[in-house]
Amino acid sequence: MADDAFDTVVAAHHAEIRRYLLRVTARPSEADDLSQETFLRAFRAHGSLPPDSNVRAWLFSIATNLSRNHFRAQKRRLRAHAAAARERPEVDSAWPESEAAASEARARIEAVIAGLPLKQRLAFIMRKMHDLDYAVIGANLDCSADSARAHVFQALRKIRRGLEGLALVETEPMP
Amino acid sequence: MSHPHPVCREIEPDLPVVAAGEASRAVAERVGRHVGSCTACHEELERYRAVEGFVGRLREAPLPGDDPTLARAELESRLADLRSRLVSFGIFPSPVGPILIARSELGVAMVRYLTGRTRGLAAEVQRLLGDDVVEDRAATEALHAELVAYLEGRRTRLDWPLDLRLARSNFHRDVLRATAAVPYGAVTSYRGIATEIGHPSAVRAVAQALRHNPLPIVVPCHRIIGAHGELTGYAGNRLSLKEQLLAVEGVRTERVAKAPHVARHALYHYDPNEQHEYCLPTCGEIARRPIGPITLFASPERAEALGLVPCTSCRPDLHPLHA
Repeated sequence: MADDAFDTVVAAHHAEIRRYLLRVTARPSEADDLSQETFLRAFRAHGSLPPDSNVRAWLFSIATNLSRNHFRAQKRRLRAHAAAARERPEVDSAWPESEAAASEARARIEAVIAGLPLKQRLAFIMRKMHDLDYAVIGANLDCSADSARAHVFQALRKIRRGLEGLALVETEPMP
Repeated sequence: MSHPHPVCREIEPDLPVVAAGEASRAVAERVGRHVGSCTACHEELERYRAVEGFVGRLREAPLPGDDPTLARAELESRLADLRSRLVSFGIFPSPVGPILIARSELGVAMVRYLTGRTRGLAAEVQRLLGDDVVEDRAATEALHAELVAYLEGRRTRLDWPLDLRLARSNFHRDVLRATAAVPYGAVTSYRGIATEIGHPSAVRAVAQALRHNPLPIVVPCHRIIGAHGELTGYAGNRLSLKEQLLAVEGVRTERVAKAPHVARHALYHYDPNEQHEYCLPTCGEIARRPIGPITLFASPERAEALGLVPCTSCRPDLHPLHA
């Protein structure tokens, strides 16, 4: 029955969709609520989904819409979140303390991501954290694939500027 | 970083694209040639590559709060709750025209004949059944297959659990349950149903309740007729559909003063008696009495399937009616 098919959908995608929403909101409780709502909506609609649909892209589109509505409704929260993200303490095994510059870079990158306009942030996270196609990202954000790409690279430029002053590259003298 | 040279300004937007490995070959080559001779742009490209590296590590790094276990458990319980309330419906072709079938976890909740128009149907179904309604052909496909088999005479029972959420009252529910118990190949009267549910005088109320049968065919209101064998109403004004459904079950009909009636002379009669005997229509006055509590059967097999036995005076077993 279709219910079993949906159990498979939950098993395959719930963790990733929640992680996406966690990156977008930076709050586990909001990621819980929005991921739950994403799958409840998907459950209502999955019966009318054409059989060859890309379920993963479809779930990202529901999650993206929900987070956009969520932030639209609570713009104040967005600002609070940006502040909270900047205050987040750094604890991380993947970023060894010896790499002081790397640790500093991560903090700055996270601050830049948290402060990005919502569309750029969503496009950046979908592309760089979840490898979605620009066409899918565009569809999820109501824009063209080219605009989706532009959002991602705009975000990368901002991150690059955010890292200004950090010694990331050993400059080699020109031959 | 500012690039004084026009070429550098032109190249700059391509640098992050090259660093991300998404540039076309031509762009990658152009940028490659340029950074080979421009220290500033070379350095800038390396910075974008470093950014890509950091972003990649950010992606791999553990994310605070990234434990979906509790959220998953909560989701499972909400889904279980939703499943118990949810009504799925599908629209299908059938021998009696397009038909809508809706079901919940409890059973079949609605069957509706459609007359061409399907636009706005989902909204109407939602209005009738509440918010938790989704179109899901897969969930109703099995019911559809059985219904078609039934309408084509390949199946005599639809043993579906009923979800009577659309019943308007306890009385309505009682009428629907009593009607659901009228077996295949048999007909009885509105009065018979009224008697069955303990309200023998509520004949009109029974007819009214069946006019609002949310589950036609499944709750076989086509097997309920007037006291003189007249078919009366069905699905608005589709008496021919009622005739068609009865014909599938072997119940013959005929015209009396242009109105369709069941052909009593071609049906076996059962007037409740202690011996549980069913009769030929020629047995005494039986075929001239109002149908009332009498049940009519298309064949001896249909009657005997209910445990009835042939009448010892008219002997329907020895003198069967000609088909």
